[in-house]
Amino acid sequence: MNTKFKKVIGDLRINPGRIILVIFALVIGLWGVGSILVSYTILSHDLNENFIRTNPLDAAITSKDFSRLDLAALRSRPEIEKAEFRDFSSLRIETHPDEWIPLWLFGVEDFANLNLARIFDQKGDGGPVTPADGAMLLERDGLKFSDLKAGSRARIRAGGRIVDVPVAGISFDSAQAPGTQDHLIYGYVNKKTYSEITGEAANQRLIIRFKNVESRQDVEIVADNLREYFKSLGIAVDAVKVPKFNSHPHQWQLNTLLFLEGSVGFLAFLMGAVLVSQLIAAILAKQIRQIGILKAIGASRSNIFQMYLVMVLAFGVVSGAIAIPLATMSGYAYAYFVANIINFEILTVSLPVHLYFYLIGAGLLLPILLSLPTILKGTRMSVRDALSDYGIRQQDTSSNRSDIINRLPIPGNLALAFRNTLRRKKRLAVTVVTMALGVAIFSTGFNVQQSLKDLLFDVNNSMKHDVQVVLINQIPKEQVEKYFSGIDNISRIETWNGGRGGMQSNIVSTDDGVGIIALPYNTDLVAFRSVEGRWLDGSTEPEIVMNQEAAALYDHPVVGGYQLLSIRGKQLKAKLVGIVDEFEKPKIYMDKDMYDGIANPNHYINSLMFVAKDKSFDKVMALKRDVEKAIAPSDLQILYVMMQAERVKIIYDHLYIVLVTIIFFAMLVLVVSAMGMASATSINIMERTREIGVLRAIGATPKMIYRLFVTEGMIVSVAGILLGLLLSWPLSIVAAKFFGNLMLDIALRPAFNHIGFAITLIATVVFGWLASRIPARGAIRVSTREALSYE
Amino acid sequence: MKVENSDMSNRPDFIQLRNVSKRFASAAGRFDALKDIDFSISQGEHVAIVGKSGSGKSTLLNMLTGIDHPSRGTVTVNGTEVHTLNESRLATWRGQNIGIVFQFFQLIPTLTILENVLLAMDFVYAIPKHERKQRAMALLKQVGLDQHVNKLPTALSGGEQQRAALARALANDPPIVVADEPTGNLDSKTTEIIMNLFAQLVGAGKTVIIVTHEKNSGPVYDRIITLKDGMVIGDRRGDES
Repeated sequence: MNTKFKKVIGDLRINPGRIILVIFALVIGLWGVGSILVSYTILSHDLNENFIRTNPLDAAITSKDFSRLDLAALRSRPEIEKAEFRDFSSLRIETHPDEWIPLWLFGVEDFANLNLARIFDQKGDGGPVTPADGAMLLERDGLKFSDLKAGSRARIRAGGRIVDVPVAGISFDSAQAPGTQDHLIYGYVNKKTYSEITGEAANQRLIIRFKNVESRQDVEIVADNLREYFKSLGIAVDAVKVPKFNSHPHQWQLNTLLFLEGSVGFLAFLMGAVLVSQLIAAILAKQIRQIGILKAIGASRSNIFQMYLVMVLAFGVVSGAIAIPLATMSGYAYAYFVANIINFEILTVSLPVHLYFYLIGAGLLLPILLSLPTILKGTRMSVRDALSDYGIRQQDTSSNRSDIINRLPIPGNLALAFRNTLRRKKRLAVTVVTMALGVAIFSTGFNVQQSLKDLLFDVNNSMKHDVQVVLINQIPKEQVEKYFSGIDNISRIETWNGGRGGMQSNIVSTDDGVGIIALPYNTDLVAFRSVEGRWLDGSTEPEIVMNQEAAALYDHPVVGGYQLLSIRGKQLKAKLVGIVDEFEKPKIYMDKDMYDGIANPNHYINSLMFVAKDKSFDKVMALKRDVEKAIAPSDLQILYVMMQAERVKIIYDHLYIVLVTIIFFAMLVLVVSAMGMASATSINIMERTREIGVLRAIGATPKMIYRLFVTEGMIVSVAGILLGLLLSWPLSIVAAKFFGNLMLDIALRPAFNHIGFAITLIATVVFGWLASRIPARGAIRVSTREALSYE
Repeated sequence: MKVENSDMSNRPDFIQLRNVSKRFASAAGRFDALKDIDFSISQGEHVAIVGKSGSGKSTLLNMLTGIDHPSRGTVTVNGTEVHTLNESRLATWRGQNIGIVFQFFQLIPTLTILENVLLAMDFVYAIPKHERKQRAMALLKQVGLDQHVNKLPTALSGGEQQRAALARALANDPPIVVADEPTGNLDSKTTEIIMNLFAQLVGAGKTVIIVTHEKNSGPVYDRIITLKDGMVIGDRRGDES
């Protein structure tokens, strides 16, 4: 072997601990960035691919007059790509004894020929089994929170009836929001069974995919024209539902995760870069004198450059060989984790070849690029400077700075540690900023988590009822309340009304409208946080309050302005008096009496809000079961029965994956930054090995030297921690606003997480202490003779 | 061992220093390490540069070897104006023309003695590849280390390491060998062995320049140049008292 490369290998053997640290840092950096690249590649493709391969519908149109429609004629229209009937009804299903949740039941034309809104078998490989008459398929996500499985009999509540339906098989519908997050189950039956279960005629809901549409606006325009076509056939359209165009309902969750991955990956990459370049600088620092010797015996700059390039390349090869398989495995593992939560299949069985090129390229090029400045600096160093490198650097120390430190009322050793810390200002700045960034992001992670928890707290506090029963139809209050008179744990029942309504705006007419909730203006069961304006106050003038989602939907109307509402065919001009913060679908609130005066002369109700006497979780749970039992023999048609705690749980389940990911990534950034700190301290010690020898020779004990270096490390740590904590607050404000808008279309309130702050403080101080202590212990292991003979 | 030399005065100047000055700037102010140094050395001369610590000996050696550039003046070695070369060209030039021996040997600790010698050849390409090992072995035999070729430097005594360093200095067959206090760390017996080796080199036609503070070794050298405060205060033949 060439002696030049023998020397490189020999150098690598001198300090295996440091080499392992460099490779470890490279592996961590590559692994982190690689995992993110791999999972990003899989996730950014697969959720959309899962959605698209269902051949998703562009619009769903409901009408009771579709019996007059010639489906073949409709399908032959130029704008129609595919059209079929897919009836839909929201029923209820028993998941565990006396526990009922919504069942979204679909009536399918032909299970063997699904061309539109396709569902698959449980594994997502092929078409679903065809359920026999009277049986149904259940969507697989529902298995996670119910006792149901293939072969069991499901109890379904349809109107006032309970029907036993055998589960013929499990299907997978990748176009739906995950049932676990929305706390509902999807079921699929043939048309005959659909009519038997629901008691409704089949073929009342048409799903369509249009040709040549590229946006939701395009779909809405085409759907509008189609509505006119139906009108010309004498078919009255009840509703036109246009979902987001070519986008999975939970694409926002994935977008948030991908953004988190991308930004944290970039940060981890930057910090890893600092760490690796520092470590390589540390190794080269020990080689400076040898560079001088090599040059003195005839080595040219390019000889030296090649030798150290080979050394760095060796780091890249070893770390790449370890990190790339790990990154592939963990990238896939993370992708499967996300896919399980959002309920889709990982379709990417092999990663694109170019991704491996990127990873290998990053593995090889990354250490080269990072060490290039240091290597070039070393090769440019003159022979004289290199040969005269004895480890003790004589800096141009400013007398002003020394004066300031000398005047500080601190012990001499601390003053020395301060002065030493300031010797390498550039490195100090890089180390402090790296540490600060890690601390700031870690702390911000906790604060954003707190903002989300505050949102959940707000949600929990904004509604004071314990159990809510929502009916499908409006009925007289007395007719409903009688069923619950025998239940003990009821303090009172407040009844509300409401339904879909429209508000004149610039949105196109095919929109599904907005939920209008009619409730007593002075109810004590709602306590929304006001964003702007005020709550309803019983004024004789019609007033409305809308939540943020509705405000966003209607392009942020001015509070104090008048809006034209359409409720059950009646028009109402109402004053918008306030906007409230609510993590819900778009809703408009108005006084029940005002609502009844316009659209509900018989004072019917469709919602019952139960307030429990004993509000403990178990008792409220029991109340919910009692309510279910009371409903069972009735003919009430129930949309859902839900505890307020369940509602909060649904929101929490939506945010869970984001909360976990934020903290995980924040932790990753902190660890990388702490490693950067440790490496900087380590370099400082290595460069001052000879100085350690001198100190020991003039009487400093190992303990004194240990303390000096730990103090220096802690000064840097504390500076980084303080700066990081200062930075974390503005960062938290920006992050809360950003993540709120990205996930929920609302700006989260910036929050301060006290526990998170304490954890950040303790974790970073401990990290900083360890980062100082480990290299400092290494420093005192070197004997005085070894230290003085440092070359 | 005294090597007989012919009269040097008739030989052309092999190394010429003309008005060489070197000034260093430091926090304490400017410092003139060399002041108007002006002398020549002929090919095959055995020269000692002596002086007290701080007199400028090592700085002068750095000028001769191109390790450092003069602030003023010219350095010409074997027809090459060394002070005009950049670092890369200097490295190649140095490898081909000068063998350097350091006070602390400065062998690469991770390579064997043989590999240390080969390394110098691998950098310069002056010796054909297939001849390098043979030559390295011959050089190590010449300095009496043929039994230790596969040992690491740390396994050798100081004298042995210095002999290995000398073999390395000769690896590319340079016409000039310079040594900075080569016996400063050695006992008197080992010093004598090393000095004999240098004398043999002179006998073989090499120009040998040694920086030393040992005034009593005068007869060994053809010529002794004495420095004080960066100036030449004496330039006499070795056999002159």
